[in-house]
Amino acid sequence: MKKRFTLQAQFVAEMDCPKEVVMWNYYDHEHLVGTHFKLYDRARVLAERDNWSLVFRSKRMPMLPFYTGGIGFQYMDGNTMKSFHKDSIGFLLEMEALFTDLPNDRCRVNVTYRINTHPVFKIFQGFFTKLFERWFWATWEEDAPMRLRRWKVHKLGFKDFSGIDYINKKGARPERIPYGPYVFDPPVKSSSPIKTVGGIARPFDHSTEIGYADQDFVFELPIEEAAAEQPAVEQHPAQPVEPR
Amino acid sequence: MATEANAITVQHEGREVEYTYLASIAELNKTGQLTRWVKGHDILLYEYEGEIKALSNVCRHFGGPIGYHKHENGVFTCLWHNWRYSCKDGSCLTHPGLPLRQYILKIVNDKIYIDLLG
Repeated sequence: MKKRFTLQAQFVAEMDCPKEVVMWNYYDHEHLVGTHFKLYDRARVLAERDNWSLVFRSKRMPMLPFYTGGIGFQYMDGNTMKSFHKDSIGFLLEMEALFTDLPNDRCRVNVTYRINTHPVFKIFQGFFTKLFERWFWATWEEDAPMRLRRWKVHKLGFKDFSGIDYINKKGARPERIPYGPYVFDPPVKSSSPIKTVGGIARPFDHSTEIGYADQDFVFELPIEEAAAEQPAVEQHPAQPVEPR
Repeated sequence: MATEANAITVQHEGREVEYTYLASIAELNKTGQLTRWVKGHDILLYEYEGEIKALSNVCRHFGGPIGYHKHENGVFTCLWHNWRYSCKDGSCLTHPGLPLRQYILKIVNDKIYIDLLG
C-alpha cells in the first residue's frame, strides 16, 4: 500500500447565537454569491435532499490569483457537517465542521480541513495551514454579522418570505415578542435559479459598501447641544474668610 | 409642535403623531445613505433623485440588510441573497408582492425624524 500524508488545518471559533443559526449559514448555498461576493462568482445546486447536497461552486482562494470551479458534496451527520470538494486543481479537500452548544445561546464551531495526498506534499503543510487560516477567517468575518443579524431578527419574530409582523403592519415593537428556538430544517428554501442549469452568478464583484449597522441606536445629543441644555450653575463669588 | 431631545410631536388630523429622531442631514450627507436600528425598526435612510426617503432595511426573504451596498441605478441589492428593491418606493423587483415598508419623515432644523407607526 502506498504511503499517504494528510495535510491538515484546524480552527475553532465561537458565535453569540445558537448552533442552528450557524448550521443554516453553512448550508445556505445562495449566500455564496451574495455575502461572499468577493470570494465566489458562481454557484449551482446539482442535486439536493434533506440532509445532503451536491453543489458546483466557483471561488477564489486567498493567496491564489485565479478562480477555480469545483464540485462539493456535503451532508449533515448529527451536529457535524461533512463535505468533500474536488476542484480543478485536482486535490480532494475534506472538511468537517462540528457545531457545539454553549450556555446563553452561544455556540462553538470546530472546523478541520484535510487533504490526503502523496508524502512529497508534506513540504506544503505550512502553506496549507496559512491558506486555510486566511480562508477560514475571511469567510468567518463575512458570515459572523449575517448569523448575528439572523438571530436578532428571529427574536423579533421574523418569518421567512414575509418579514417582521409589527414592521409590515406599521405597529410599534411589542414589549414582549414570543419566539421559539431557531430550527434548522434543511434544505434551505431557495428563491433563485440556483437549481437550474445556469445556476446563479454574483451581480457585481465590487460595490460601495455602507456596511451593517446592527447595534441599536441610542440618541445622544451632540456635545455642544448637551452643554447648552445643562441647567445654569449659580456662580457664587468667593467669600473672604473672616479672621478668627 | 412640541420638541424633545429625541422626538417631536405633530398634530395631524386631530391626533398627535410622534416622530422619532433618526439622524441629522450632515450624517446622511456623508455617504447619501445610512441604516439605523431605532426602537426595533431597522431603517434605511437615503437620498434619491433629490428626495430623502426611508424604507425598512429588513429584507422580506431572510432578513438581510438591504442597505449594505450603496444603491446603484435606482436599485438596492440585499447583501445576503441579492434580492433587489426599487429606490423609488421599496417595491421588490425579485419577488413582486413583497415590498419594503416606507416610513414617513419630517425634517426639522436639519434633523430627520421618522414616524414609526405611520
